[in-house]
Amino acid sequence: MTGGGRIARGAMALAMLLAGAALTPPGAQADGQKLAFDRAKGNCLTCHEIKGGPAPGNLGPPLADMKARFPDRKELIAIISDETKRNPLTVMPPFKRNLILNDKEIEVIVDFLQTL
Amino acid sequence: MRTRTLIRLSVILSVVGLTTAALAASADDFKAALAKAEAANKQAGALKNQWTTTKDELKAAQKAAASGNFDEAVKHANQAEALAKASIAQSKAEETAWTAAIVR
Amino acid sequence: MLRQIFVAAVFVLGTAQPLLADNAVDPNADFKAFREYFTKRFPKVPLNDFVNGPYSMDEGLRNQWKSIEEFPPYEFAVEHGKERFAKPFKNGKTLGDCFPNKGIGIRQNYPYFDTKSGEVITLELALNQCLEANGEKPLDYSSQDMAALTAYMAFTSRGKPFDIKIPNDPRALAAYRSGEQYFYTRRGQLNFSCASCHVQNPGGHIRTEVLAPALGILNAMPIYRSTWENMGTITRRFRTCNSQVRGVPLPGQDVLYRNVEYYLSYMGNGLPISGPSARP
Repeated sequence: MTGGGRIARGAMALAMLLAGAALTPPGAQADGQKLAFDRAKGNCLTCHEIKGGPAPGNLGPPLADMKARFPDRKELIAIISDETKRNPLTVMPPFKRNLILNDKEIEVIVDFLQTL
Repeated sequence: MRTRTLIRLSVILSVVGLTTAALAASADDFKAALAKAEAANKQAGALKNQWTTTKDELKAAQKAAASGNFDEAVKHANQAEALAKASIAQSKAEETAWTAAIVR
Repeated sequence: MLRQIFVAAVFVLGTAQPLLADNAVDPNADFKAFREYFTKRFPKVPLNDFVNGPYSMDEGLRNQWKSIEEFPPYEFAVEHGKERFAKPFKNGKTLGDCFPNKGIGIRQNYPYFDTKSGEVITLELALNQCLEANGEKPLDYSSQDMAALTAYMAFTSRGKPFDIKIPNDPRALAAYRSGEQYFYTRRGQLNFSCASCHVQNPGGHIRTEVLAPALGILNAMPIYRSTWENMGTITRRFRTCNSQVRGVPLPGQDVLYRNVEYYLSYMGNGLPISGPSARP
């Protein structure tokens, strides 16, 4: 095996890896839903009606029609991160400020929300 | 020739050795991280606003340390410190923010 | 109805507080604003019905409640409390000896501000102070025994309006203000204050639970909760609420708990004692 051959194969492998990362990995929505429904994480059902979620609360609006209502995912990220910035009297927990969710988790949840 | 190779080799090895040592946490690292976390949580206690999740992380840190897993233990201790600091920040902000919620 | 208005009016006028020089704490004004907020938001709820918590907010729940009350689940606690109340200590005295009127029909006066010690005395604290003063072991503030005692005492006061007094004493006003502050302060990792749920969202659903309005919320204590399958004291409820928002509960009868009980009880003045009561 020549050095050049090894390098070529390595480059191809790397290219395939990068290409794969650019696509939404399968099961991402399932991960987002899992995080959203998890009581220790998003715990969203406590206050929001969400398709596929049992026994929801109603302190917040139902999470439906999300792509139309929030075309810019940055807005959703801001709301989840710290809604008190926008509405000081909100009862929405500041998930990022209070270290309930990290940036990656918020991104994954927003991915899920935009499918609702 | 051989001497230079030997020197190069020993330099590389010591660098690698130092790097590996820096990557793995020691019992002392854990003790330091835990002390910081506990101090912050104590301050939160004085403000009567400790979080249950801070307590959980401190417990997890102790548990990991007890089984010799200091990398994990330090991670939990650092997270506990972050949570404790966040609870202190919450109390400080609320000292003035609370009045906005009063029914008038 | 007229009698209740009269009682409320006499009370409100009778406890008119002098204004402090700066940052005047005005419990009277707070009381009026608090009551108006709830009666305006829920115009169809009769004033006295607010003490029924979630049942005043939700018709479906109310029907469930009616069937529960056919065999009130707190009855055993009242009986146990009555026995315990009359049982002599080792020194021959009883709990009744520590209280005005032998402890009968006085629950609506608690908490009160003790000008001698300079602190708020709640019913639970008074009971333990009595036990300790007589060489008996104090009770855990979240215990079934404590709940039984306060259930019995509340039962003897059923229907009487809450009659909390704030004496003309800056320390009492400070305790009241501290209680008000505790009530509106966000806490725990979830960042909720008591008001987040009980002022901003009465009648709202947290998962399947219906939130009670803060107006009259302590009138119904202690409670038998179906989810707990036993009794809960005021201390137990405060501690549970703390942990539910991921805040570490304070030790029983911490000064902040007593102050917030003082504040909330005062806000419930004029409304009838309905405790002990059943809750989902």
